[in-house]
Amino acid sequence: MMTLSERIGRVFLLIFVWAGLAFLTIPLAIIVAVSFTETEYLTFPPVGFTLRWYQRFLADTSYLDAIGLSVSLAVASTVIAVLLGIPAALAITRSNLPGVKIINAIFLAPLILPTIVIGAALLQYASMLGFARSYTALLVGHVVIVVPYILRTVLASLARFDQTLEEASLDLGASAFSTFFLVTLPIIKPGLVAGALFALIISWINVELSIFNATATLMPIPVKLFNYVQYAIDPMVAAISAGTIYVAIVAVVLLDIFVGIDRVATPSK
Amino acid sequence: MRIRNGWAALLIGLPLAFMAAFFLVPFFVVVIASFQTKDGVWSLANYTRILGDSYYPGVLYVTFKLSLIATLVSFAIGYPIAYYIVNVVRSRGARRICYVLVLMPLFTSNIVRSFGWMILLGRQGLVNTTLMAFGLTDRPIPILFTELSIIIGLTYILVPFMVLTVAGVLQTIDKSLVEAGLDLGASRFVTFVKVTFPLSLPGVVAGSLIVFTLAVSAYVVPSIMSGGRTVVMAMSIFEQYGSLFDFNFGAALAVGLLVVTLVLIALYLFFIERQPTGRQAVRA
Repeated sequence: MMTLSERIGRVFLLIFVWAGLAFLTIPLAIIVAVSFTETEYLTFPPVGFTLRWYQRFLADTSYLDAIGLSVSLAVASTVIAVLLGIPAALAITRSNLPGVKIINAIFLAPLILPTIVIGAALLQYASMLGFARSYTALLVGHVVIVVPYILRTVLASLARFDQTLEEASLDLGASAFSTFFLVTLPIIKPGLVAGALFALIISWINVELSIFNATATLMPIPVKLFNYVQYAIDPMVAAISAGTIYVAIVAVVLLDIFVGIDRVATPSK
Repeated sequence: MRIRNGWAALLIGLPLAFMAAFFLVPFFVVVIASFQTKDGVWSLANYTRILGDSYYPGVLYVTFKLSLIATLVSFAIGYPIAYYIVNVVRSRGARRICYVLVLMPLFTSNIVRSFGWMILLGRQGLVNTTLMAFGLTDRPIPILFTELSIIIGLTYILVPFMVLTVAGVLQTIDKSLVEAGLDLGASRFVTFVKVTFPLSLPGVVAGSLIVFTLAVSAYVVPSIMSGGRTVVMAMSIFEQYGSLFDFNFGAALAVGLLVVTLVLIALYLFFIERQPTGRQAVRA
């Protein structure tokens, strides 16, 4: 079917696209590679193979504290965002409350406004009210920026599914409450899982928001890494960075298992 | 299942109160602070200071210039990838691999991604050693800590957003239109130029605006990739809040960045609304 020039064109497209995909992958692969180097300095290709740098950062309690804080923030903000997002999504899709469009826009706004401005606003506000640079200040900020991810995927799942299933449940005598837990929730679960995984990751990698309310003892891992990278880069930084890349791999694999990666990437399908 | 408005108000009450308390009100605080001096006197001094000397207009200029270039390069790299994933790849496995490669960087923090480029672009980095090995240069070219490295870093962050936005719109294009073009004797290239690309334009505009918005407000990448030698808007804002503690002036800078972003978002909505199915393609 294809003419010669079309074949040549396709080969060029293929080369260009895979070069582009390599562009996206190589910097991460390089970090993983150099994290195993036996040298005291960063070098590529790495020399030898050692897990020393991983051991060194795992032995440093300040890094473990930072990781612990990040995990705690990610989990807590995701749980809170789910608890806020599900009722909000139900109210937005299933009622004719006035101003629903505006309410929806308020919840989704953190997605498109500059995170650095949200961070600055939160610091200024928290200073005014006296809770600046505290766990609370970090947590509420993380909730604000992850809520849109939950809301969006839950809204999409609610809009998609067959509402006669809920009606059947109600007709058969179940209360609205048990209908939600027995029918609605299981059906929107894939969307919820996808949203929650995105929320966990967005919180886990955030710097722009956290940096305003972080302190020397209250420092999420990306902020700690950010401060460290600016004055020194060594194989230990590579090992910590590689650690966060492994987390990303796990997240992508989980998304593929639970929801299907192509559905997550282009939900309009 | 409809929900009566009374119940809906109850459901939305707490979530909305949370967003009001920790998102809307803080923004009002910033806007008000930007119109006040340190002593709480109402004044336009912060804004006249931004536009008054040549420093901040310079920062704005650099921010926009780097963002614009990074957006154009992201389009050049991202569009073909999106096109390939949606229109060329046949097997589901290959498509999954593509999406994994696009999402992986998105799930890694900007610091880690920039750090990867520091290793690649440094004097002894892979890029310089490769250039020297091929005899293209006899000594390392300074790439890291230049505007070029900021552009590379920004582009790297932005390409996945471009791919996902454009792919979303490409997917909504009716395949029978493309087939009609081919049936009428046009080559694949001509069909692309005359049918597919024009139909995908709303996605291109939407993707470019998302990416440009992210670039203008980027903080981590320019900080790391410039080594502090080039200052962009987001860095100025953090400097005021984080080290100079001038919240009022910082607020004015933040409002400035916010206004620019809001104008871009308005443009984005204008273009995406023109495509009937475009709304579904809206994503971060």
